[in-house]
Amino acid sequence: MNAATPRFRSHARFSGFLWALFLICLTSCERCQEPGCVGADCNPEATPYVLEIPPFFPPMDIPADNPLTVEGVHLGRMLFWEKSLSDDGSMSCGSCHLPEHGFSDPNAYSTGITGAQGIRNAMAIINIGWATHYFWDGRASTLEEQILEPVSHPDEMALPWSEAVARLQAAEAPNYTQLFLESFGTSTITAELTSKAIAQFLRTMISADSKFDQWRRGETSLSDEEFAGYEIFLREGGDPETTPGGQFGGDCFHCHGEAGLQFSDYLFRNNGLDGSFEADAGRAGVTGMPLDSGRFKTPTLRNITLTAPYMHDGRFNTLEEVLDHYNSGGVPSATIDPFMKYTTGGLALNPAQKTQLLAFLETLTDTSFIAASQFQDPH
Amino acid sequence: MNCRPFNQINTPRSAAVLVVFSFLLLQGCTQTWWWNNDPIPGTLRFDAQLEWNADSAALGDVTVDHLGHAIRLDNVQMYISEMELRSEAGDWQPVGDIALLDFSVLNPRILAPVPAGVYDAVRFGMGIPAEINADTDPASYPNDHPLSVLGSAGMFWTWSSGYVFVKYEGKFAEDSEQPLLNPLSYHCGTDSSFRTVTLEFAEPIFIQSRQLTVHELVFDAAKALIGGEDSIDVVTDPVTHNGSGTTLGGRIMDLMDDAWSIR
Repeated sequence: MNAATPRFRSHARFSGFLWALFLICLTSCERCQEPGCVGADCNPEATPYVLEIPPFFPPMDIPADNPLTVEGVHLGRMLFWEKSLSDDGSMSCGSCHLPEHGFSDPNAYSTGITGAQGIRNAMAIINIGWATHYFWDGRASTLEEQILEPVSHPDEMALPWSEAVARLQAAEAPNYTQLFLESFGTSTITAELTSKAIAQFLRTMISADSKFDQWRRGETSLSDEEFAGYEIFLREGGDPETTPGGQFGGDCFHCHGEAGLQFSDYLFRNNGLDGSFEADAGRAGVTGMPLDSGRFKTPTLRNITLTAPYMHDGRFNTLEEVLDHYNSGGVPSATIDPFMKYTTGGLALNPAQKTQLLAFLETLTDTSFIAASQFQDPH
Repeated sequence: MNCRPFNQINTPRSAAVLVVFSFLLLQGCTQTWWWNNDPIPGTLRFDAQLEWNADSAALGDVTVDHLGHAIRLDNVQMYISEMELRSEAGDWQPVGDIALLDFSVLNPRILAPVPAGVYDAVRFGMGIPAEINADTDPASYPNDHPLSVLGSAGMFWTWSSGYVFVKYEGKFAEDSEQPLLNPLSYHCGTDSSFRTVTLEFAEPIFIQSRQLTVHELVFDAAKALIGGEDSIDVVTDPVTHNGSGTTLGGRIMDLMDDAWSIR
C-alpha cells in the first residue's frame, strides 16, 4: 500500500525533524561524549592494562589518546631496550638509564654513540608518570614528546626517526610490525607510535616500596636516627639567631615535599650552584624569561642514594657533598631561590644532623623497583 | 526480507519517544531542569591584574617600596575561596570553587558560573577554609584541581598539613644602587591567617544567562607592605612562613585585605 497520505507525510516530516534534532544534540553536547580510547592509534582489541596506584599517591593522568594496554606496555619495554634505535646499534634508552643506578646514568654526562657528551646528567626514571615536565629544563611537556628526542639527537643515539622506523618495520625478531598491530591496530610503524609505546612502559615504572613507603603504610618502623632525619627534613633551615624562622632544619620539604609521596614539587628552581648562567641557562633556555635563569626541575628524592652523581650537571658525586652545598647556603645570584640561606650562613646543620638526614634519605631507596623483572632488558 | 519502509516507522508513538529523548538530551547540556525555575546561569570571569602603587606591574619588574627599598617580586600566588556575589536584595550568592591565582602564568583568571541576576558586591576568602585546610591530603584531589598535588605544587606545607594561602616572594636591596640579592619570602597560611575580602562594584553588574561577563580583579602588591594602620620593612622582616609563631604573616594578610580592587 502507498502510505503517503497527507497525515502520514506530516508525521514523516515531523519525525525527520526530530531525528535531525536528535543528531544535533548528540554531536553538539560534549557531556554526551564518552571518555576513553580516542584517536586513530587506539586498538579496541588490545587488553587494558590495569595500573595500580599506590596508597597516598595522586591519580596518574594518562593521555586519552594513549591508554595503557598490556600489549602496548610490552612493546614499550621492547623498544626501551632496543639498541637498533641507535645509529650503530650499540645503545638503547636503557643504556643511559641503568636499573642498578636507579634507571639513571652513573656518569655526570651520558656519552652518545659518537663519543659526544651531553651537558646534563641523565635524570632517573622513577614514577615518571606523575611528572609534569620532562628534561631538566622542562622543554618537553609530555612523556611522548620527551621520548622522541634522544633517538635522533646527534649527541645521543643519533638515528633519524625515518631510519629508526624503517629498521623496526623490517625487523623479524622481534616482529615489531606484529607487536604494533597488536598494540595500536596498525602494522605501520611511526615515530609517534614508538614514543607512545615507550611512554606506556615508563608509566608502569612505579616505585612505592621503599622503607619510607612501608613506614607510611604502617608496615615497619623508622630507626631513631632515620626519624630524626625525617624531622630535620621537615624543619625550616638555619640558625634562628641569624635566620628568621630558622629551626636548624634541612629545609628540604619546601622543594621535595612529600605530598603525594613524590618528593618533588615539580617546579623549576635555582638552588644556588652558580653565580651566572652563561654555561647553562636552564629553564630560561625554554621560556626566555630572565627570572628562569639557572632554574632546573626539582628532581625526586626517591632512590636518591642510587642515582649519583647529583645536580643537573652531575657535579656532586656524593650526598655528603650535596648536603654540604645546601649547608653552605649556596652561591648568590639574581635568581637564587629564596629558600636558600645564602645571606644568613646556610642551614647550620652539624655533622650529627647531616648523618641523620642521610639516614632518612636512605629510607627512600626501593631496591625491589630496580630489580623488578618487568622493567629489565627483555632482549 | 521483513523490513518496513521508512515512512511506516514514523508513527506517533516513535515521534513521542523522540521528542522526550531529544528534550532530555537538550536538558543534559544545560545546568537546570525544565521543571526547575532557577535561571540558567551565566559565567563571570575575573581577570586578575597585578599592580604596584596603582601602576600595572609584572613579576620581575624592579620597583621601590614605601621606604625606598628596591624590590623585585618573582612569585605571587594565592588561594581564593568561598567567593560570593551580593544580589540586589542583599543576599550573598555562593559562586565558583577554590581557585589558585598565580601571577606567573599568562592571564591569571577566575571563572565562575553565576545565576543570572544583578549583583553589587563580591566577597571572597584569601586562603583555604579551615574545614578543608585541616587534615587534607592533596593526593585525594584530581590532578586538575587547585588543591591537588600538582595543582598545589609549592603551595602545600607537609609539616603542618595545610596549604600556603599566599606566597609573596622576590628579592630586595636596601637601595636602588645595590644588586637585588636579599631574599624576600612571605608564606602565609594556617587557619588564623584566613581573611575575607569584600569589594563593591562601582555599579551593579548584570549577569545574563549563558553570557560571559568579565571584570578585572586587581591586586596591588605594594599595599601588602603598607596600609593605613601598619607597614612592613622588608629589611628587618624579610621572611615569614607563618608557622613559627610569628605575627608577621598575620600582619601581611591584614594588609593584603586592602590590596584588592575591582573594575
